[in-house]
Amino acid sequence: MNSTVVSYLSQAPGYALAVNKLTELFGFDATGFVNFLLFFLVAFIVVNVMSAIGGLGTYAERKISADLQMRQGPNRVGPYGLLQFLADGVKMIGKEDVLPAQADRFLFLVAPLMCMVGVFASLAVLPFSNGFTLTNLNIGVFYLLGVSSLVGVGIFLGGYASNSKWSMLGGMRGASQIISYEVPVTLSILAIVLMTGSLSFDVITEAQGGLPHEWFVLHNPFTFIGFFVLFIGALAETNRAPFDLPEAESELVSGYHTEFTGMRFAFFALAEYVEVFVVCGVCAALFLGGYKVPFDLGTGELIMKTFPAVHPMLAKQIGNILQLKVFVLKTLLLYYVVIWIRWTLPRMRVDSLMVLCWKYLTPIALFNLVGCAVWLWAFEGKSVWTLIFKSGVAAAGGHH
Amino acid sequence: MISLNGYLIISFCLFLAGMTVMIARKNIIAILLGVELILNAAALNFAAYTRFVNQNLDGHVMSLFIIVIAAAEAAVGLAIVIRFFQIKETIHIDDATELQS
Amino acid sequence: MFLKIMFVLSALLTLGGAFLTASSKNLMHACVYLLACLFGVAGLYATLGADFLAAAQLVVYAGGVVILMLFAIMLTGGVQEFVNKFGLDKTPSMGSGKTYTIAGLSMIVTAFIVMKILAPVFKTPAQTDLPAFTSTVEKLGVLLVTDHVLAFEISSILLLGALVGAAVISRPRRGK
Repeated sequence: MNSTVVSYLSQAPGYALAVNKLTELFGFDATGFVNFLLFFLVAFIVVNVMSAIGGLGTYAERKISADLQMRQGPNRVGPYGLLQFLADGVKMIGKEDVLPAQADRFLFLVAPLMCMVGVFASLAVLPFSNGFTLTNLNIGVFYLLGVSSLVGVGIFLGGYASNSKWSMLGGMRGASQIISYEVPVTLSILAIVLMTGSLSFDVITEAQGGLPHEWFVLHNPFTFIGFFVLFIGALAETNRAPFDLPEAESELVSGYHTEFTGMRFAFFALAEYVEVFVVCGVCAALFLGGYKVPFDLGTGELIMKTFPAVHPMLAKQIGNILQLKVFVLKTLLLYYVVIWIRWTLPRMRVDSLMVLCWKYLTPIALFNLVGCAVWLWAFEGKSVWTLIFKSGVAAAGGHH
Repeated sequence: MISLNGYLIISFCLFLAGMTVMIARKNIIAILLGVELILNAAALNFAAYTRFVNQNLDGHVMSLFIIVIAAAEAAVGLAIVIRFFQIKETIHIDDATELQS
Repeated sequence: MFLKIMFVLSALLTLGGAFLTASSKNLMHACVYLLACLFGVAGLYATLGADFLAAAQLVVYAGGVVILMLFAIMLTGGVQEFVNKFGLDKTPSMGSGKTYTIAGLSMIVTAFIVMKILAPVFKTPAQTDLPAFTSTVEKLGVLLVTDHVLAFEISSILLLGALVGAAVISRPRRGK
């Protein structure tokens, strides 16, 4: 069941042919080489698609904010202004790359790259569908937490290296915010890990079902609260409003990327938008059923049963595409909510941000963790709906 | 190439680099960087012996404890450094002379 | 093949990071080089089949220790050169030629001693048939709560003590 994209594609008929041809050509076993080529190709596609999604994120943000404020938004470049992000990209490349005279040269060059590397490395474990996962690590969740903390270092160094008061304050705020909110986020993820007994995204997704009552968010009251703790913490970790203190433009000009111009600034912006996508994907995979499609459509079993004439491989392909669509749909819905929140709520103060993290979210997350453990022990991991259904059946049976 | 010797040599070089940092630097935070390097050298050795000599994972547990201790050491050490800076307004190691008679 | 490439890359990252940490004159840069070195060590763990250790290394060091170090550098005056307060430019805080000479000499002595210890290990023939990589997470979890449960509990108490201690020590005094 749990397969990475390479092992999935290796079932295709052309694969064995390519391996044989290349083995004859090179004179040694070419399986590893072909696997590497396949992996490289897929990783290339994923990175490019994600960059496009990050670019479209800026477009979506402007369009949705315009919608919320009864404006038009970008509508000149392309149909409905869809190509606005490409025009912005061209503008960014064309701009002069300014390096402040007093800046720390090495750190100034390295900081945007750190943000980019941290975000794009976390794409490796995101479960897009059953067959389309880049790597199926058995420590996927842990790996994602570790790699994405590189973004905090990047933001801090970006703020420090600019040698400007605004950047410094923004970078300090960003780093302290990220390492503080990592605590409630990790604790609420840990509750889910406790329920499934695995750190792999694949197993966690497979433990849920396609319909909403089988998702972990509606599994029991504790996970229901845990989802919101995770979502609030994720908003703070990606520096989105109402937690965008590091780039508060009314106080700090633009925060840690004030001094960055051209493509370096674009790297920071792209890293932020892709990170929002990744975080929404993690929320969807952990709590909202991930790529699971209702009624066994995802594995292609229903299609095979209703239309026996269809080739099983084709049914599986259709199921896989459906899974991919469902995952992206859930993620983009959460993305919409993130943008909606940004243009609705005012920004928080620094001290109330820390109070929210340490006095409210962390105790709630700890309580959730203990609550999930107790639920697991008391009801043997059954969901609320199963218990209600069972008691209903028992009550109905009692009358007879 | 991938053998016990390769890992031992890498960990040996890490240890030497950490020792050099600890002796040559006069800044307390820089000395703490050296301590991190030395702790990592030890943890790497444990993991390497687990892989190449006996495969019973006790070495991994030991490395895990070393990582935990490194985190605790960094937290307390840096707290002491910040307190020292509040009192003395310097973090030069030669100024830590309070206990000298 | 893939493992070899990964080993070489990680080893280069580790050794280069360690060397630059020891030789850099800028404390902030030394901290970033230390981060590179620790990432290299995480890669070496991965080539050793210790997947959980590699991820723990990433989480603890990249997310915790290095950011803490950077914060401490900022809170203690950045990268300005501190000198001993009894004399002008007595010893620069990032070391001078004298301290590096002492460090080099003691490094050579230590290298000889450790080489004497390691020599019999190097002479033993390399083990050729290594077991395939397996997931270590479950086994590690079982080991932590069975064989090593006492050390596990003590380390949790140690972490709590470090947390409280760090908060108490670095708290500004009220009178001053």
